[in-house]
Amino acid sequence: MADSSFVVNGPTVRPAALAGIRVLDISGPIGNYCGKLFADMGADVILIEPPTGTQLRFEPPFLDDTVGLERSLSYAYHNTSKRGITLDLGVGAGQDIFRRLVTTADIVLETEKPEVMQHRELDYEALARLNPRIVLTSITPFGQTGPYAEFEAEDLIGLALGGLLYMGGYLDSAPTRVHGNQAYLGASMFGAVATMLAALEAECSGVGQHIDVSMQECVSIALENAAQTYDLEGTVRKRPNPEQRYAGYGVFECKDGYIYLGARGIGRSKAWDRSLSWYADEGMVGVERLYGPEWSQITYLKSEEARHVFGELFMPWAKARTKAYLYHEGQRRKIPLAPVNCPADLLANPQLKFREHFVSVKHVLRDQPLLMPGAPYKLSETPWHIQRPAPKLGEHNIEVYREIGVGLAELSALISDGVV
Amino acid sequence: MRGLPLEGIRVVDFCWIGAGSFTTKIFADMGADVIKIESSTRLDSLRRAAPYKDGKPGINRSGYFADRNTSKRGVTVNMKHPRALDLIKKLIIRSDIIANNFTPGVMERFGIGYAEVRAIKPDIIYLSMSMQGSEGPERDYRGTGGSIGALTGLQYLSGLPGRVPAGTGTNYPDHIPNPCHAAFALLAALRYRRRTGKGQYIDFAQTEPMVALIGPTILDFTVNGRSQERNGNQHPYAAPHGVYPCTGLDCWIALAVINDLQWNALVEVIGAPKWTAEVRWKNTATRHRDSVELDYLLGHETAKWNARTLMKALQARGVSAGMVQNAEDLIMHDPQLAHRGHWIKLTHPEMGETIYNAPPYRCSRTPAELRSSAPLLGEHTREICIDLLGLSEAEVDELIDQEVLK
Repeated sequence: MADSSFVVNGPTVRPAALAGIRVLDISGPIGNYCGKLFADMGADVILIEPPTGTQLRFEPPFLDDTVGLERSLSYAYHNTSKRGITLDLGVGAGQDIFRRLVTTADIVLETEKPEVMQHRELDYEALARLNPRIVLTSITPFGQTGPYAEFEAEDLIGLALGGLLYMGGYLDSAPTRVHGNQAYLGASMFGAVATMLAALEAECSGVGQHIDVSMQECVSIALENAAQTYDLEGTVRKRPNPEQRYAGYGVFECKDGYIYLGARGIGRSKAWDRSLSWYADEGMVGVERLYGPEWSQITYLKSEEARHVFGELFMPWAKARTKAYLYHEGQRRKIPLAPVNCPADLLANPQLKFREHFVSVKHVLRDQPLLMPGAPYKLSETPWHIQRPAPKLGEHNIEVYREIGVGLAELSALISDGVV
Repeated sequence: MRGLPLEGIRVVDFCWIGAGSFTTKIFADMGADVIKIESSTRLDSLRRAAPYKDGKPGINRSGYFADRNTSKRGVTVNMKHPRALDLIKKLIIRSDIIANNFTPGVMERFGIGYAEVRAIKPDIIYLSMSMQGSEGPERDYRGTGGSIGALTGLQYLSGLPGRVPAGTGTNYPDHIPNPCHAAFALLAALRYRRRTGKGQYIDFAQTEPMVALIGPTILDFTVNGRSQERNGNQHPYAAPHGVYPCTGLDCWIALAVINDLQWNALVEVIGAPKWTAEVRWKNTATRHRDSVELDYLLGHETAKWNARTLMKALQARGVSAGMVQNAEDLIMHDPQLAHRGHWIKLTHPEMGETIYNAPPYRCSRTPAELRSSAPLLGEHTREICIDLLGLSEAEVDELIDQEVLK
């Protein structure tokens, strides 16, 4: 099934941790990454699209900025290693075919509004009658039941109602969101963990279950200590000043961009002493103003005065140095400083290069392969591995339908009826 | 028998602070016996992180620590003591997984690098989740979730154009990207071990899942040559899409109007103010083209509304809208989270009854359980040494006396 020739410079084929698990992925943008996590670890993930194509095919960015069914880079990224078939689940004939597929599968991933699967008679009870070990995972904005269950929610709405949106941005303007559909992805990630737990359990017990994932709840996990801060101290955590959350902690401009100074770099820490030596070694004017014992008091660090003094000394000093210099020299001195990298920086990053993080994957409309993020983890025995590029629309129809006993004649009929 | 999926799995947990502790918490809440190795000689710094019960600092009083360490048992061992190694090895041979999020080299200095551990427990699953991985020129570099956000582009890409990058305002990679990817990798390794009897080493660089989560943005650069910039709350093709003021201090509503149908419904809900009649507001392309002006005009309308009332009115008409909730809204006033029982109260010996997040998924047959609040420092030292490692009371006393169990 796996064919390494699809992937340029891919690792040689090794055992796959999830070999033998079959996933039917009928999900949309909120769930496609969940299926990718399974597929890149060796599961047989079959992306089931409506005959008009799954939603992510219509989402940017597009290859050469041109819209087209096979041109979405979001689609190409989130569906690697999957096989793809078309099937209209809105009609009875399509639902019948799906039931046949379910008997061969371990997991179904779906992201429909609650009750859609029930209307199709493809809800958990119905699927479990066909295949008791099936795990049905439903990833939705708010979960299967409750007052918001029918609400519409794009990524931004998940961030808003989940509480993360409130925590990001600037004090003087509306909250700003985190980049890159992280609410959708959070739902996909937790969906993958819960599904994997249930699938492992089902392999032992022979019985599956229904997993109900709420994007809103997933986002609420990202609130750091905000919920506990309200519960224990009665205060609502607000979005911080990104420049200096408190003195010496935050994002600072440098010669060619920005750097991030971590909280552990100031106050009662060894890194603070190292920072002071560094500033002195490199001739920071007025560094002695940072020497007092008040710089080890968090209450002082939070004061306007401390912010002002630190900024007055550090900002011009940092402005004369590049982010690469500050990063490497800071780290050499064991100070937790990081560059604020832009996408172009990532491709040039020596650490990611050393780890061969980015991988090349062929694309049907392009001579050059697509260079994309690779392994999020390196497993020594069962490495992450792209089995194949994201499927073209209906690419594996003949192959997959044959596997469940749909012959060419039946398939032709399904195609002419618009079911496939 | 509770029948939880990970019952019978034991984890030796050297993780501390954010991402690592949350990874093993996922396991603990699903039935694994997670034994957190701590030492009063080098505290998990999260124990010294606010908020504290009643605002009063104490190593057993941090709500941040508590939320990240439910359902675990805790033992204190001073790994720098020469007699610690034998004890830890006894624990390792009775375990399935060993996890840490130190910088590379620390576990080796303790004498429990992968090679040493595999020698005594060949099928061990060994997770090392350092910031930048076990190998490479920057493997020794240090940082936290905020550094990872900066290194991977997330900070740069989030916020308003022309201003300091705002990021998420949190250590985002610690909370979802890294715990979820690490838990998934561990579960995959666990399945492989069940089928083959083989353990393995997981080299986990905490930067890499975060890079994996901005894949389309990376592809826009590698394929189209576009290095994306911050764009506030703008949508690539739809408008209005953003955060708009409502009545009250720092109250906002998020709107994501994706098509003309939703726009028409929104116009009706806000009482069709005159300006909406202009033809350029009637289709997505021109709304998006003039979105700065649109945001300004729309903001004047939303400012007359209570955020919750407007959200309900819009959602009743199928418009993607959500009030921007803060922690108080989530805990005290959100009917959906209440319906799902998201906020769980557990009783802790020192903190009393406090609030915890439930795992954000409901499993119909094997529901995750927060079986206990976070361990007090060293709470289960004696129990683990005696029941699990087979030491006598006297031997434990002696090890405490010698400051091995410290």
